[in-house]
Amino acid sequence: MPNADKQDNNNEPLSSSLKKNLETIKSVFNASSDLSVHEFNFGHDRRFKAALVFLSTLADKGEIHKNILQPLMYGTLLLNKDAALDFTNIETIKTNLISTMDCRKISLIKDLTDSLLSGATVLLVDGSGEGLVVESINRKDRNIEEPGTEAVVRGPREGFTENVSVSIALIRRKIKDKDLCVEKFVIGEKSKTEVYIVYLQSIVNPKLIDEIRARLNRIKIDAVLESGYIEQFIEDAPYSIFPTVSNSEKPDKVVAKILEGRVAILADNTPFVLAVPMLFIESFQSSEDYYSRPFLSSIMRFIRFLAYIISTLGPAIYVALTVFHQELIPTQLLISIAEGRNRVPFPAVLEAFLMLFTFDILREAGVRLPKTVGQTVGIVGAIVLGQASVEAGLISPIMVIVVSTTAIASFAVPSQADSGTVLRYIYLFLAAFAGGFGVIMGLLITLVHLSSLRSFGTPYLWPVVPLNLPAMKDVFIRMPLWTLSKRPQAIIWQDYDSNRQSPDLMPSPYNDGNTG
Amino acid sequence: MTKTLTFKVIMCLLVPLLLSGCLGGGTEINDLEIVVGMGVDKDKDTGKILLTAQIVREGEIGSNSGNGGGQNAKAFWNVTATGDTIFDAIREMTHKTGNRLFVSHNHVVIYGYNIAEEGLQEHIDFFLRSHEMRPTAFILIAECDVSAVLDAKPETEELPAMNIAKLLKSHGYTSHFIEVNLKDFISCLMSPTTSPVAPIVEVTPGEESEDIYISGMAIFKNDKMVGKLNKEETRGLLWVKGKIKSGVLLVPSPGKQGKIALEILEAKTKVTPKMENGKIVMDVNIKVDTSLAEQATIENMTTLPGFEKMQKIQEEVIKHEIMAAFEKSKELKADIFGFGEMLHKKYSSKWNAIKDNWDDIYPDIVLNIDVKAEIKKADLLVKAPVPG
Repeated sequence: MPNADKQDNNNEPLSSSLKKNLETIKSVFNASSDLSVHEFNFGHDRRFKAALVFLSTLADKGEIHKNILQPLMYGTLLLNKDAALDFTNIETIKTNLISTMDCRKISLIKDLTDSLLSGATVLLVDGSGEGLVVESINRKDRNIEEPGTEAVVRGPREGFTENVSVSIALIRRKIKDKDLCVEKFVIGEKSKTEVYIVYLQSIVNPKLIDEIRARLNRIKIDAVLESGYIEQFIEDAPYSIFPTVSNSEKPDKVVAKILEGRVAILADNTPFVLAVPMLFIESFQSSEDYYSRPFLSSIMRFIRFLAYIISTLGPAIYVALTVFHQELIPTQLLISIAEGRNRVPFPAVLEAFLMLFTFDILREAGVRLPKTVGQTVGIVGAIVLGQASVEAGLISPIMVIVVSTTAIASFAVPSQADSGTVLRYIYLFLAAFAGGFGVIMGLLITLVHLSSLRSFGTPYLWPVVPLNLPAMKDVFIRMPLWTLSKRPQAIIWQDYDSNRQSPDLMPSPYNDGNTG
Repeated sequence: MTKTLTFKVIMCLLVPLLLSGCLGGGTEINDLEIVVGMGVDKDKDTGKILLTAQIVREGEIGSNSGNGGGQNAKAFWNVTATGDTIFDAIREMTHKTGNRLFVSHNHVVIYGYNIAEEGLQEHIDFFLRSHEMRPTAFILIAECDVSAVLDAKPETEELPAMNIAKLLKSHGYTSHFIEVNLKDFISCLMSPTTSPVAPIVEVTPGEESEDIYISGMAIFKNDKMVGKLNKEETRGLLWVKGKIKSGVLLVPSPGKQGKIALEILEAKTKVTPKMENGKIVMDVNIKVDTSLAEQATIENMTTLPGFEKMQKIQEEVIKHEIMAAFEKSKELKADIFGFGEMLHKKYSSKWNAIKDNWDDIYPDIVLNIDVKAEIKKADLLVKAPVPG
């Protein structure tokens, strides 16, 4: 089996014959057309045969020319006949000739191929059983831009990029602390994606790090195309509709999480950074809550809770009330609803289902289409479909109001949009089946499920369940920053470093002691 | 999740749902006939119950007031049916409506004059027993035909029954009548001494539409209507019951030149029963705050002596109203004030001796009325605008 031969080759050491090495490399890469081999002679009498091997699609040829080829061909050291150095020793070349810092010696074929695949250039010299790997990757990266998913009014506009080292740099720029640890993993048999976990050594719970290491190390997959791949292999409750790993594109948000003792997981080639453990309440907290003053923030937080309730329960409550509990609707409203439903041929639940379904189609279509066409979809959907279906008597106007309120509310809590959509359909079904009783049963089961969830050891509903009163300062209302002096206890699980600021920081006007 | 836990969760989901027995029991709004008012009368020919139910015609609601085009279309449909009992008649109605009658939003129950005089007992059970009916629905007695009341098309409201409910809730502006709901009516009815009262509704023909009008209160002895209270007497009753919210007190001016209208701002009542030498005395203490709302006289009332005089006259007027109501109740031997219950609470040991001949004792009760009236303000004017 040729494949098996190649596998064997990979673990072999490099031969001292340049010709043989080059043949091996070519066969390992199946003579891939972007594999470039540049053979040349160097030394003052040009007696050393050498070759540069790189993947032309990955490597930066200018870098190779400037930092490797030029010193080797025209270096002053080479012109001096008296200083006849033995350039079959790779160490000599590394210390004397190469003018870049990113280089290291290798001696295995496997290391050589790995380096080539990550964009490095390998210098092989005839007569030496070693090679010199020089980093020469040519990355065309996106600039640091404002992320499309998490726009803010107040706060930093930068977002992570696909280049993981830029992303780590963005974190490092915000936490200038020697305790900030960056640990590297390589995940993906084929993709060999660099995955980093970033945390603050002095705050983080060491058991959490062990657990993350264990969970990351057990991932054996072909490729990690997005951090979502990692999320789905490390989450606590894969069958739950609730996410137990949070993600963000915004460095300030991720840094805030690291500072609370969480661990960020960054994967190369995606701007979405994961953070664990995740609490349910995080979905209702926005970075802007902390940047603007506490009063509006508290109201906005209340509105987000309300919006989540509306987005999950809106159609269900409407159906339960109008089909099962008409006596609970005020008379005038009942008459209005009945008036609107006068010509509607469907049962309320089918009407609600049709509208929700249409809304989901519109949303999906609007997301996928180019922006210019997307607006057309909105207009056609909202005005033409909405108005026409009411005028045709297919849908009652109240149902349009209920579904559009639900739809708008579902955008207020983006990180729970998935669970909200699923719950909306479940509750609607239960409401049609058993009215308010069904909805309450559904809520009860959801609550039991939520209370049983954990994310990397932290109870999902903390600090509400189990109740932690000091931490409640940042749940339903956002107390002033100077009162939030403790880090979240359930994430750190240790007492010694739970103070993040001194407790007496309440600002006050200058007082010279005489105003008494 | 382990398999057993999954099983448990599924069972938790299914068992209550399947055992509840209310699955699929919903009714679409389209299939409901929303009843907002009901009338109970006696069929003159057969002597059976003639039930009228006011059903909302949803399709006509907005269109009537909106563009004014469909002036002729009524927003309601009064369905009538006869039956031996009320429930019998209600189900009989489905022969005409096709849908079940939904009575949860019934706001008023109107009894015909004849039925009220014969006794309501056998016609009131359903309205409290049915789980759909609200015990807070108002009870009324129609002076005319019940169907005429439910047919009268009011000017501003589209549904006569809702209009009646609205009228009843406005009692606070005059305190000339009081709303009585089924629950309150029944609790008075079931009391051994207290006589229930209920507002009387009349229809006066107008030019294009008819006006529905609350003319006074009906007095019941047990479950039979025995008499009426006019507006003044009703207010006398409400003074004692402490249910005066606001209203206009018309008093003659001290100089006897014209009338003065006082607005009742706040009234507090305290009734203390006393038994002195076998005589029953009810101490009625009333504190009234009023404001000078209007004066139809040129006298300057906003002086200290003027206020004092007005307060005196006002106290007399209130006493007169109470006595009028009390005289009427003595005449009918109907304890509309609930004095019997008060005595029962305070003199529970002596009560047994009285209760059996309460009807004979009631007219001998002495009412000791003490009114403290105070005029708090004269609003924006000090002197009346008198021609110079």
